[in-house]
Amino acid sequence: MDKILRIDVGADGGPKATTVAVGEYAGLGGRALTSAIVSKEVPPLCHPLGGENKLVIAPGLLSGSAGSMSGRISVGCKSPLTGGIKESNSGGQPSQVLARLGYNAIVLEGNPKDNTLYKVFINKDGVKITPDNSLRMLPNYDLIAKMKAEYGDKIACISIGPAGEMKMCAASVAFTDMELRPTRHAGRGGVGAVMGAKNIKVIVLDDSGMPIRAPKDPQKFQDANKRFVNGLKSHPVTGQGLPAYGTNVLTNILNEVGGYPTYNFKQGRFDGAAKISGETQAETETKRGGLATHGCHRGCVIQCSGVYHDKDGHYLTKQPEYETVWAHGGNCGISDLDKIAMLDFLDDNYGIDTIEMGATIAVAMEAGLAKFGDADAAIQLVHEVGKGSHLGRILGNGAAMTGKAFGVERVPVVKGQAMPAYDPRAVQGIGVTYATSPMGADHTAGYAVAQNVLKVGGDVNALKPEGQVELSRNLQIATAAIDSTGMCLFIAFAVLDQPETFQALLDMLNAFYGLNLTGDGVTELGKKVLSMERDFNARAGFTPQHDRLPSYFKSEKFAPHNVTFGVKDEDLDKVFNW
Amino acid sequence: MQKRRDRCLSFFLLPEDRIASIRKTNVTFGRKDMESYPRLAFRMEESRLLSFSRLLQQGVTIRCRVGCSVSAFLREELHAKDATIEKIQSIMLDGKPVDNLEAAYVSDGSTIALSAAMPGLVGATLRRGGAYASFRTAITYHEGADIRRSGEGFIRIKLFNLLMAELGPDLLQRGFFLTSKEFIGFIAGLSHDFWQGCRQVTLNSEPIDPLKLRDPAWLFHKEQVFLIVFLG
Ligand code: SF4
Repeated sequence: MDKILRIDVGADGGPKATTVAVGEYAGLGGRALTSAIVSKEVPPLCHPLGGENKLVIAPGLLSGSAGSMSGRISVGCKSPLTGGIKESNSGGQPSQVLARLGYNAIVLEGNPKDNTLYKVFINKDGVKITPDNSLRMLPNYDLIAKMKAEYGDKIACISIGPAGEMKMCAASVAFTDMELRPTRHAGRGGVGAVMGAKNIKVIVLDDSGMPIRAPKDPQKFQDANKRFVNGLKSHPVTGQGLPAYGTNVLTNILNEVGGYPTYNFKQGRFDGAAKISGETQAETETKRGGLATHGCHRGCVIQCSGVYHDKDGHYLTKQPEYETVWAHGGNCGISDLDKIAMLDFLDDNYGIDTIEMGATIAVAMEAGLAKFGDADAAIQLVHEVGKGSHLGRILGNGAAMTGKAFGVERVPVVKGQAMPAYDPRAVQGIGVTYATSPMGADHTAGYAVAQNVLKVGGDVNALKPEGQVELSRNLQIATAAIDSTGMCLFIAFAVLDQPETFQALLDMLNAFYGLNLTGDGVTELGKKVLSMERDFNARAGFTPQHDRLPSYFKSEKFAPHNVTFGVKDEDLDKVFNW
Repeated sequence: MQKRRDRCLSFFLLPEDRIASIRKTNVTFGRKDMESYPRLAFRMEESRLLSFSRLLQQGVTIRCRVGCSVSAFLREELHAKDATIEKIQSIMLDGKPVDNLEAAYVSDGSTIALSAAMPGLVGATLRRGGAYASFRTAITYHEGADIRRSGEGFIRIKLFNLLMAELGPDLLQRGFFLTSKEFIGFIAGLSHDFWQGCRQVTLNSEPIDPLKLRDPAWLFHKEQVFLIVFLG
């Protein structure tokens, strides 16, 4: 992995591919690489859908190797949703395949000369870009079926659905899974709209004939990988809870503590929670012949995903994640798992972020477009997005746009991006991260490693109110670092509790690249990434006033605990003081 | 024997070690309770216990000793062993995360929910005594002044995720109360599978056609139903 593929979509005679050495970006992967390229090469004041913006797709540092959990892929650009820098990452097969093909990143740049739609095919022999207007407005599942018919089933695909082609701010970039289904998405921030603006419908990858990436020290790498896998398997979250129930296992507990945003963030408990919980979902999947434990890419040992079948035992969608089940479920008052699974399928098929779409529908319900709890109406609204009707165009541009269009005050967004499934009034520490993350309200922004493992930011007194600010800072640093390795963020649970598992991860990186990375080095990487992102946003016009939750979170009491968001603005402004 | 039967629904059907274990809990159901609540018993194949999982998640009510610490409650009422208590990483008492099991007390009418370690930052935040406990200070459980009145009372228990398999079978065989609304919802949601694995149903110790359970008329406007599950 030592080259970057740059595709100039505005070149004379159609898009032109150039392979360049990785150069100054050497040693960076995943989020570190996407944010480095975007912050250096994209003018912060550019229009996100214009020719100056770039879409960067980068596998992680260990992707394509035999290292477990190494198959996450990052997508970066200036976000059409937030107006700031964006990194959105996904599972699926393409990360491994792209890395084996030797690419550190694909960069889509320039301004298309006309409306022609293109497909890109990359294999060991090079890159072929072909115009193909027959793909126009194809939903992701149909598109991938067509690619399979054309290129065989040994491929992995990166694509956009109709929402991306229509340049909607909630549009995702889809990545195929092990079964060659477009079920994994870089959903947040409208990255699909930027791919759509470049007129690239699909990138087909075929790594046939390419070897697995070899570490500098194979023996040490193998040994570290073994310790890493053992650490993941022995931890109760990564070894038991996640494989058995998936991320949706969080529904019951969030609901119980009154932190489960329900009816567009109106209250913290949903009566129908047990009907849509991870426990019920896993039971339903198993009973119908689906799968409650499944990986999103080869090499995943946690396997938090699954396969959801309909009542007749036919494939409907992959196992919807917690955030999806919440967004389309409790947040919209919907307690029918089959309908939620259908919404998940439609989001994947049209290429829309499930969190943004669910939050948007809840805002639309508050506006009176549909009744809370009306699952069929919610499905109809998603179809409107897929069709691109006038209403669909509003909805497909997210919760903030929908709130404006229909005069709704209670719109749960930060920097224009919808909040995920944890109410910041009940769990205030996560509110600090929502408010201050350069990405907009993002649950994964501060997800990861404990400061007592990484020792970032010194010792924190968790009992002091400002402890929340310090912890959020440390978590954001650590998350940025993990995102840069390309490891699935869910490894964080084992690394959080088991220093030896964190050490095994460092040993893997060191053995692979012949480095001497320490915990401090990882911290520095995380800080560097966040600093680049903050700097980009500052140049794009962001000020501390953008690092705030909507004001109603400070005044509207949240049942059942009747709490409001109490972290002071001046404390929020201290998050990035290091 | 008749007296014992009156003390607890179909008690005589339990194996001796279960009888001993339930006796140790010092719970007695008074004659008034027995007369006022319809008492239903399901004899089930063990493999079908999963059918009760939604019920366990929503919560069931038991009558038990109250005014004790959460720790004592887990050990003495739910018969949780050390390894299980270790596995219980999140405990919510009346919807509030508990950090110290010895310092939080269950009282009449409390709801206690139990979960294994959960993923994500918020999962970690909700762990007892976890590094991120400060993230949820606003909702953390703090013991009040005068609620340690001991005696008998009703506690609602919710079991989530891995703890359903760990503590669920014991809880189901101990017997529990549901409101009639909860019971009707439970029956309505049962699948064909459940009935295939259900060997017998008795109402107040008399066999009853399971189909009749779908018609709530037999509840006679009672607010509560007592339900117990036997294996085999
Ligand atoms: S743990 Fe889940 S998200 Fe992470 S790689 Fe495995 S299946 Fe994908």
